[in-house]
Amino acid sequence: MAQFRLQGSKVLAVDLSGDAVKAKNGAMVAYEGEMSFKKMTGGGDGLRGMVTRRLTGEQMEVMEVKGRGTCYFADRATEINLVTLRGETLYVESSNLLCTDAALRTGTSFTGLRGASQGTGLFTTTVEGSGQAAIMSDGQAVVLRVTPSTPLQVDPGAYIAHTGRLKQHFQSGVNFRTFIGEGSGEAFQIRFEGEGLVYVQPSERNTIGGDV
Amino acid sequence: MNGPVIHDAHTLPVDDNVNPYAFSVDLDGQWFLQKGKMIAYYGQIDFHGIGHGRLDRLIAHSFHSPLHAADWVVAEGRGKMLLADRSFDVNSFDLEDGNLTVRSGNLLAFQPSLSLKQSIVPGFLTLIGTGKFVAASNGPVVFVEPPIRVDPQALVGWADCPSPCHHYDHQYLTGVLGGVRAFTGIGGTSGEEHQFEFVGAGTVLLQSTEQLMAEIATGGVPQQAGVPSATPPNQPSMPRMPGQLGDLQRRFGL
Repeated sequence: MAQFRLQGSKVLAVDLSGDAVKAKNGAMVAYEGEMSFKKMTGGGDGLRGMVTRRLTGEQMEVMEVKGRGTCYFADRATEINLVTLRGETLYVESSNLLCTDAALRTGTSFTGLRGASQGTGLFTTTVEGSGQAAIMSDGQAVVLRVTPSTPLQVDPGAYIAHTGRLKQHFQSGVNFRTFIGEGSGEAFQIRFEGEGLVYVQPSERNTIGGDV
Repeated sequence: MNGPVIHDAHTLPVDDNVNPYAFSVDLDGQWFLQKGKMIAYYGQIDFHGIGHGRLDRLIAHSFHSPLHAADWVVAEGRGKMLLADRSFDVNSFDLEDGNLTVRSGNLLAFQPSLSLKQSIVPGFLTLIGTGKFVAASNGPVVFVEPPIRVDPQALVGWADCPSPCHHYDHQYLTGVLGGVRAFTGIGGTSGEEHQFEFVGAGTVLLQSTEQLMAEIATGGVPQQAGVPSATPPNQPSMPRMPGQLGDLQRRFGL
């Protein structure tokens, strides 16, 4: 089993002993030992996955890293967060996914209006199974727990990932004031209900929703 | 390897930082925040653009700078709210019957018990009263005491001391040869000939880089004789009514 650990907060070190991980193409910064890097066409989900990713706009450039030793990954000095999955599903934007254990299955799922509002498309990437994954955020991510009695509202531009059984709604506070240029700038939110964890970054991507 | 700390609605700090880049507000009532700086919240919170009939009284009390009111939002309700700004460092400050002037782009949020006014220095805002406010900076904030001269790009704000004046350090640029040197750069200039000079008692806030944060407009000032204005008087500008809410273009997002 590949061992993920953080070296500082911006470099991911993965200890490999003959097994493999999937990582964002070109994210390797250094390695010790023997490693081989193989580009995986179409996100590494096979032919069907490749077609789905093309159709849904969730393309990821992924490579398979296999070998013995330690491999270091980093991407544009963004902060890295480790997520340990025990059979649950992680929903993450493909642009925020850095590395996953080879034992985890990746796929795509429909997110509905949330994606449309944050400009990342209508689909998102799912990671399922047991193992570790590393996700990236602009600034140290905040992990927020959602329980049935405490639903959470998140700005679409700050959302990066979530796990657990969560229902998402899209809520909007658009009213006539938005159209006379006196909107609140917080017109769109995603509301999470149920049981699970939501990862939020302390910065906002440019979204259509951010300006109204 | 433990995962990151998991926060929920009860363990989020009360009016304190979650990490250097995110600040948690325990909201029960109202807060002012800059447009688009809320990243997540628990509970029942409404966001209103300013210029709202129902909030007129609050705004009249806390806002004395109506010309840029369109950049601010009132959060109203109960719950925990997280604020962040492009992963810059955020810090909260308490003012007790004091005054603090801050660069307009750095101010994120403040309690309505403070009142916000345009500073006489263009591009800066002054907060007066008692309460808490949140400001962002590019790198951690350093506090220093006057007398001090600071680099214009590193200045975040100042508290309790008189407004600064310009200081030019260019003895070596005098005379004909010095003029040629300043004008052409031949012989080299250090790039540090101009500073802000603070004197008197108080505190000066500096950020640890010289990279400025984008400024937000502070609005125009009445075009009267004796009022230092950001726009030189010979530049054409749209006529404004006193107390008018924002320029027409900005109201329509142009």
